[in-house]
Amino acid sequence: MSDKPTRWVGTEVPRVDGLEKVTGAARYTGDLKFPRMLHAVVVRSPHAHARVRDVRLEQAARVPGVRAVACGKDFPFHVGIYLKDQTVFATDRVRYVGDPVAAVAAETPEAAREAAARVEVDYEPLPVILDVADGMAPGATLVHPDLGSYECVPWITPKGGSNVCNHLKVRKGDYEAALRRCAHVVERSFSVPQVQHVPIEGHISVARMDGAGKLEVYTSAQSPFTVRHLLSACFKLPHGDVRVVVPHVGGGFGGKAGINLEPIAAALAMKARGRWVRVLVDRSEEFYAVVVRQGLEATLVTGVDKQGKVLAQKLLYLWNCGGYGGYGVNVVRAAGYTCGGAYEFPNLWGDSIGVYTNRPVGSAYRGFGMQEIHWALEQQMTMVAQEIGMDPVEFRLRNCLGPGKSTVTGQVLDEHSGRIDLCIRKVAEELGWGDGRKEPNRGRGIACAVKAPAMPNDAASSVLLKFCEDGMLEVLISGIDIGQGLKTVAAQFAAEALDLPFDKVRVRGLPDTDLSPYDWQTVASRQTWATGNAVLRAAENCKQQLLGMASRAFDAPASRLRLANGTVLDPETGRSLPFERLVMGYQFDDGHTIGGPVAAAASFIPEGLIFLDPETSQSPKPVAKWTFGAQGVEVRVDPETGQFTVERIVGCYDVGKVVHPSLIRGQTYGGMIQGLGTGVMEELLLDPQTGRPRNASLTDYKIPTTEDIPEKLEAHFVETPQADGPLGARGVGEHTMIPTPAAISDALFDACGIRVTRMPITAEKVRAALQAKKKEQPTP
Amino acid sequence: MNVRPLEFRTARSTAEATALWAEVPDAYYLAGGTDLLIQMRLGRRSPARLIDLKRIPGLSAIEVRGDGALSIGACVPLGVIAAHPEVRARYPLLAECCLAVGSYPVRNRATMAGNVCNASPAADTAAALLALEAAVEASGPNGDVVLPLAGFFQGPGKTVLPAGALVTALVLPAKAAGCRGSFHRLSRRRGVDLATLGVLVGRHAAGGAGAHRVVLTAVAPTPLRVPAAEALLDRQGAAAAAQAAEAARAACKPIDDVRGTAQYRREMVGVLVARAAAALG
Repeated sequence: MSDKPTRWVGTEVPRVDGLEKVTGAARYTGDLKFPRMLHAVVVRSPHAHARVRDVRLEQAARVPGVRAVACGKDFPFHVGIYLKDQTVFATDRVRYVGDPVAAVAAETPEAAREAAARVEVDYEPLPVILDVADGMAPGATLVHPDLGSYECVPWITPKGGSNVCNHLKVRKGDYEAALRRCAHVVERSFSVPQVQHVPIEGHISVARMDGAGKLEVYTSAQSPFTVRHLLSACFKLPHGDVRVVVPHVGGGFGGKAGINLEPIAAALAMKARGRWVRVLVDRSEEFYAVVVRQGLEATLVTGVDKQGKVLAQKLLYLWNCGGYGGYGVNVVRAAGYTCGGAYEFPNLWGDSIGVYTNRPVGSAYRGFGMQEIHWALEQQMTMVAQEIGMDPVEFRLRNCLGPGKSTVTGQVLDEHSGRIDLCIRKVAEELGWGDGRKEPNRGRGIACAVKAPAMPNDAASSVLLKFCEDGMLEVLISGIDIGQGLKTVAAQFAAEALDLPFDKVRVRGLPDTDLSPYDWQTVASRQTWATGNAVLRAAENCKQQLLGMASRAFDAPASRLRLANGTVLDPETGRSLPFERLVMGYQFDDGHTIGGPVAAAASFIPEGLIFLDPETSQSPKPVAKWTFGAQGVEVRVDPETGQFTVERIVGCYDVGKVVHPSLIRGQTYGGMIQGLGTGVMEELLLDPQTGRPRNASLTDYKIPTTEDIPEKLEAHFVETPQADGPLGARGVGEHTMIPTPAAISDALFDACGIRVTRMPITAEKVRAALQAKKKEQPTP
Repeated sequence: MNVRPLEFRTARSTAEATALWAEVPDAYYLAGGTDLLIQMRLGRRSPARLIDLKRIPGLSAIEVRGDGALSIGACVPLGVIAAHPEVRARYPLLAECCLAVGSYPVRNRATMAGNVCNASPAADTAAALLALEAAVEASGPNGDVVLPLAGFFQGPGKTVLPAGALVTALVLPAKAAGCRGSFHRLSRRRGVDLATLGVLVGRHAAGGAGAHRVVLTAVAPTPLRVPAAEALLDRQGAAAAAQAAEAARAACKPIDDVRGTAQYRREMVGVLVARAAAALG
């Protein structure tokens, strides 16, 4: 962290991958054509819950052109990032509509489709559980009868003999005693449906196992090393014999975190040795067959004193995890240790419980549970404020976190933790909050957001810096640029630290696990911060190498020298050497040479993280950092139809340091629009009896188009430096979609006195709420 | 899953097209293809042969006939129809309904004949075509037929078009020119969405008995004209907006689906008819 003026960080440098993307030079996994590549089709369960009595592949294998068939019997291996509750193909039972049962690979897509149609599966249907209440009911059918025997990380607590795949308890202060002292108590329930990421590029993986037994996988993924790690674990292969390459990725939003189609591609590749096998899902399957976002049922009880201070807070989050919880269990955990959002609650009783159902598989989705819990918590805060007749902004300021305040896990924040109060004030000011303006059917609302990176304590990034002969710097990273601009940001940090002209940096960001430095995952809004730190460290190392050589070349102390625009300069003598004279070693006039090619590797791992207490979740530092923010919304409602227009969204986030102004604005606007989509139009609908998806297409699953974008989007930033952030920066990628739905709901309340607690807020729900209100208060 | 080979044929005349259709089972005519190709991908239709109509001379023309009627060829894309000066000047409601369909790229490909033959209860162009009392001209194995659009739709995906017949043109009568009003539709989002429901209310410049048109979409098995509501408006004009709305609510037969509930649709029919009627002034 430094107050030094910056040359590149904080400026509008051109996006380094812009040209290749707009010219079509960027190649995505689906663009890659491998010699004699086979085409796969996955046979997926039509049942939401059934016992698999038998899978017969003989007829499929006989179709001309078929080169591989595989099912659960062939690969009875478990896979999962945190909880190994899934197998490559269903073995004894299927747990959601779309669960992979078998797969075939053939010379043509047509042959593969025909073979897939000839796979015979005997199912014995089982009772279907779609809601968390049914999953939690005593005597409920077990989705995973073997849950107690699954392998998992130590900080996940699945309960064998139940449908609970994880349960995080947060206990702070004395909730019961505090509740008795409260002047007002508000209890409300909220819900969030399952939604889908809808990336432009769907999931796709291409794999080959060569004659020597090496497995290679090209895949559209957010985490090449985690894919390698989990593939190795699943198929019991040495990591060194698994290679994962990630070409350009056309959007992930969390749906390509962890491991997805790769094991199926690998299984078929093992059956068709030497051949490349391509597995993909079509747009319809993308909605339900791979991963979705969890559903949430939340019940909150809030007790306040007369001064508007929350004394007692109870939260119950029941997560609808779907058929498997491999990744989703960590959403449950993150929602637990963040259960109180951006507020200080001295007495708190929180439970975050993941429940298996027979819905599609819940996984990571931008925000990782935070939009869902903020939907509940932020509306609740407004309702409590209204209950005691206090302005919702004032109420938030009175209860929010800040330096010296204690989070739900007992972590005391410091002056580097970020300032939610400044974000709230900025948004309120921009909205003209408290100006008394009130027009019929127009309203304003504000909601807060907070999120920490939800990751294992040892989630690390590393980078490699090396030079070309002409002094060009190459920066090898393994974080994925999924559109957020990571490559550009990495180039900015490198150019900054080595004082290079910006066009003298090339970021190599299409990682290949054989060649690239390790990175855990591109998730958790962690890349600018983690990779950024690693780049700064490696650059510092390179700088010392350059100064050391120049010191000998100039016969001057290294401490006197400095880097200046691609040269090493001795300010006292005015002598300078361009990098190209140094980066391959420096040669004196008599021919003797020192140094050597300049290169450095560096790592970043968050330090000082302490596990949560298993009974209370108390920990002085459970997570690496927090990012706070707030959004304000203005809406206009048509009360007759219930249709409404979000006219304006204003956001303010404490990002520590704005690394790239237009990239961060783009992140913010994009998050707002994605937040708007989930808030008002998105929901994966299932048939209530069969669990089959009813809107698995873009015809009937809608996301916002350009015509739906609010007329005004505004992004503001506070820069309270993060102590361990690169030049003070902290993550913000996910946070931008967290508060939007709650702010819209509050604005609708402000506009016409109705409250929708079940996301999404559709016109029909608004209309129904208005009708209900009319009945309650008949006009005289 | 359809894995049989698909044959693509290009017809140069309607006679050739109908002959190609008759040669094999499961032959389909192809105009814009924006519905058919999606249905094929979803496995709902499995053609053995597609017969492209776009090379047939005359099918891509818009022309004013001797009697003043406007003929719109079956292969004219919606975007072209909506921008056509004759359409804009004489049948502005049709232009409005064409523009309600899909997106720019879809409208540059999709045809009105296709929209009509697809026979969706939510077909936006059907609202204007019913209001304007258009006729469907078709050629089939048993010769040419002219079918009034009233009665053309029989249910979702069902029409009275004889088997093997292909629509050659949609014809707007001269007397329908100058019918003005508005088309209101509700959808889940602003850009590119099927109508949850649609309401068209129009009035012929001459006024008097038979001057008004009230057409509803996506609230019955077919796009629906509501004569009772029209008669109320004929007698009392915009003053009868509320009664016309009530008549339309009574006439519609909506269902629950992923786009909305029957109850919401019925209520919104009332709201939109009242609005559109009031807007007539």
